[in-house]
Amino acid sequence: MQLAARKDAGFDVTRNGCRRAQRGFARAPLAPIPRVEGREASFASAVSHAARLLRAARQPHFAGLGTDVDGMRAAIDLAERCGASLDHAHGETLAAMNRVLQTRGWYATTLAEVRNRADHIVLIGVDLEQRYENLVSRCLRPAASLESARLEGRRITALGPRPAPAAAQPAEHLRCAQDDLVGVLHALLGLLKGAAPDVRRIGSLPLTRLAALAEALRAARYATLVFAPGALAAPREPALTLLCELIDELNRGGRAALLPLGGDDGAQTAQSTCAWLTGYPLRLRVGTRLDYQPEALSTAHVFAKGGADALLWIDAFGTLGAPPAGASGARSVMLGAAAPDADCEVFIPVGTPGLDHAAQLLRTDAVVSLPLAAQRDSGLPSVATVLRALLAEMR
Amino acid sequence: MLTALKGGRVYDPANGVDGEVRDIYLQDGRIVAAPRDGRPADVNYDLTGCVVMAGAIDLHTHIGGGKVNIARSMLPEDHARDLVDGHRHPHAGCGHAAPATRTAGYRYAEMGYVACFEPAMLATNARQAHMEMADTPMVDKGAYVLLGNDDFLLGALRDGRSPGFIRDYVAWTLKAAQALAIKVVNPGGINAFKYNQRQLDLDEQNAAYGVTPRRILTALASAVGELGLAHPLHIHGCNLGVPGNVETTLATIGALEGLRGHLTHIQFHSYGTEGDRKFSSGAARIAEAVNANPNVSVDVGQIMFGRTVTESGDSMRQYAGSAFADPKKWVGMDIECDAGCGVVPFRYRNKNFVNALQWAIGLELFLQVNDPWRIFLTTDHPNGAPFTSYPHLIRLLMDKSFRNDMLATLDPDAAAATILASLDREYSLYEIAIMTRAAPARSLGLEGFGSLGLGARAHVTVYREDENREKMFATPAYVFKDGQLIVRDGRVLEEIHGATHAVHPDYDGAIERELDEYFTRYMTVRKDNQRVADDEIRDGGRGALVLHPVKPA
Repeated sequence: MQLAARKDAGFDVTRNGCRRAQRGFARAPLAPIPRVEGREASFASAVSHAARLLRAARQPHFAGLGTDVDGMRAAIDLAERCGASLDHAHGETLAAMNRVLQTRGWYATTLAEVRNRADHIVLIGVDLEQRYENLVSRCLRPAASLESARLEGRRITALGPRPAPAAAQPAEHLRCAQDDLVGVLHALLGLLKGAAPDVRRIGSLPLTRLAALAEALRAARYATLVFAPGALAAPREPALTLLCELIDELNRGGRAALLPLGGDDGAQTAQSTCAWLTGYPLRLRVGTRLDYQPEALSTAHVFAKGGADALLWIDAFGTLGAPPAGASGARSVMLGAAAPDADCEVFIPVGTPGLDHAAQLLRTDAVVSLPLAAQRDSGLPSVATVLRALLAEMR
Repeated sequence: MLTALKGGRVYDPANGVDGEVRDIYLQDGRIVAAPRDGRPADVNYDLTGCVVMAGAIDLHTHIGGGKVNIARSMLPEDHARDLVDGHRHPHAGCGHAAPATRTAGYRYAEMGYVACFEPAMLATNARQAHMEMADTPMVDKGAYVLLGNDDFLLGALRDGRSPGFIRDYVAWTLKAAQALAIKVVNPGGINAFKYNQRQLDLDEQNAAYGVTPRRILTALASAVGELGLAHPLHIHGCNLGVPGNVETTLATIGALEGLRGHLTHIQFHSYGTEGDRKFSSGAARIAEAVNANPNVSVDVGQIMFGRTVTESGDSMRQYAGSAFADPKKWVGMDIECDAGCGVVPFRYRNKNFVNALQWAIGLELFLQVNDPWRIFLTTDHPNGAPFTSYPHLIRLLMDKSFRNDMLATLDPDAAAATILASLDREYSLYEIAIMTRAAPARSLGLEGFGSLGLGARAHVTVYREDENREKMFATPAYVFKDGQLIVRDGRVLEEIHGATHAVHPDYDGAIERELDEYFTRYMTVRKDNQRVADDEIRDGGRGALVLHPVKPA
């Protein structure tokens, strides 16, 4: 990525960016001035107020978790100190994926494999233009591939309500409503297994077109099913399970793999860091003992029924907006790179990883992690710095 | 501060000391001579009735990286059986098959280990592997980076690039990934699986590149030798787990043609096809070959009965093994034109013929390979068993009657198919000290490790003598790391952070330009983002980077 500094200390992305990157880098840094009960406060007094707040809480909950590896390390250590539960803003999606992982597993692939190896890519209910626009030039239709014949003959199919992006054309479109995806995937699996459903169409999609897709996938040398778990309609497990089963079926005789797109806003980073430090993915309570409760510890649930009475909200990318409404009654500390969208008792502005401080982040495929360098000196502390100060204050 | 360890029986094979009662002095992190002036030590430990060894080293244990983290995330039920609370350790965690990084570090220290090496780090995943190892406290660590299934190397071999070019690429990869050694897993086979080849024998061609595993092995073993790495090419051969793979393994030893090689978890590669079940022990033939080829070292990858998870870069063989997943779930991955992985939970059962014979084959190997300097004690954690089973394994090796008692509990057909009962060998404490200390230190080139000689690092493990060797090795009385007492009576006293060991061999800068273009043209990160910087390892002072010298040929 190439950046050009602007007068307001934001950046224009001049090369290799996407709209989300442009928005994120354009943002001018907040003034490094915390607020306590609406009034400006020193860093030290904000930290000590936040520490008192957390100490007084019966059941604190840390959420958002939009941060880097080091921020997550610090969050887990602080949670251990307070006996807090942890959930990421995209916790519902993570939890759905984890349930599938923990009950059956899958066969997955990564970005460079798709770029170089795939000869048939099916985009399943995912709107690349909205969230993953650069995937087209990086993976789907790159300028070059180790397997140039596969790239030249690469077939792209969009299965879902929207066609593939213009840059991915030519691409066929098997139009179906997002709500019909489960039925469509089920039928596709039946077709692959030689048990075609006895219907003419699934929703608006003629079965003959799906049968042609099944045949093409069987003939593919490396078929890739691309989807975004977060874009699937809840409950997500039926679709996720069918996607896994489709790959299993294709792998009996040929080769195929899933490419899940997600991990946005630090979700993959939070999940992976939590898994290595504690053994468990999100969601869990960390204290003297670990308590893994992926359903009951959702942010919505803990504030509705779980007895949580304090919120620590972390949003170092400034992308998460307000915490779930259910948390609004609790006392709260917010660490954010953007001005808070909700009332909070303590607000501490923090830097954004890769903008205000160096950082490490994990990519969607949970394989590649990226080193990010600081781009400016905004005087904003990192999440890790704030949380370690809080931890020191609580000892 | 001068610390005196007095009156213990010392086993220090690096210096030929075999059970002599000696005093050992520690100062400033090193082993020092007794003070000549009779000056008293600041702290004295009476080690009468104790056994003293250098801190132990595990040269093959899957402690960090993507596949380990998949296993953790996949197995909450396994964690639930082994939760560790924050009163027991400095941080809460969980253990057993896929432990939290912290729990793994504490438990290694509690068994007297001071260094652990992750043997299957992908270059594309190196940063994460190092971040996980940075969060593995107590022990020093390091990793072997995988080559031999990456499209870059296979393309270079297909194109007949020079040995010098291959050597430069190997050296660049070691430095970029901050690795200590090179590992090859199912040479060419992981890549072949991406092209739907379901097996690849030593002389079969990877269909996409027209390159054989033999070619990959010899190219890498040569490069490692020419670069002068202490540790030879670390080889996970073809056909892991396949009945009859003893032939492949013997051919692999032959393929080295005298080049140094370390054949890892060789138990999984020592299977014949004799008998009604077409599954038999090839241990005697493998041991004979190891004994006859001083260029070869092995570690065993002993299996133990119970639940565990198998984590491997070998997606081809893990795909085949996924049929036996217990519980029924598994993850496979094709990864970044670099390698792959497969994570398959598994339960080894002593009443299952194959599992029981695998157990016996591992022990047959231990007992028939003569030179303890060339065979290392591993369970390929967690693939054969969690590392916490090492004390039990040591008892099996040291106590024939215990071993035979265990043998009697096995599936009777398996018990009948093994020669184990006829093997009288019992390992001595001296030999255990070789295979868990002196030999891995030498094999990895870890200066100052695995030794209690003057000037060595003050890594000392003290065990209370006990006829029950399992009990003795499970809970050392004292563990010192760099002279600091870190464990007493098998309990961690304080969390410390160890260093990362790596090599940075020289290479011709031309390789950088070619790799720049390759990454830009074909990969999804730039070359310089794949590289793990020295400062990332140093991690603001929490970590340290120890670079070991290489001795180019």
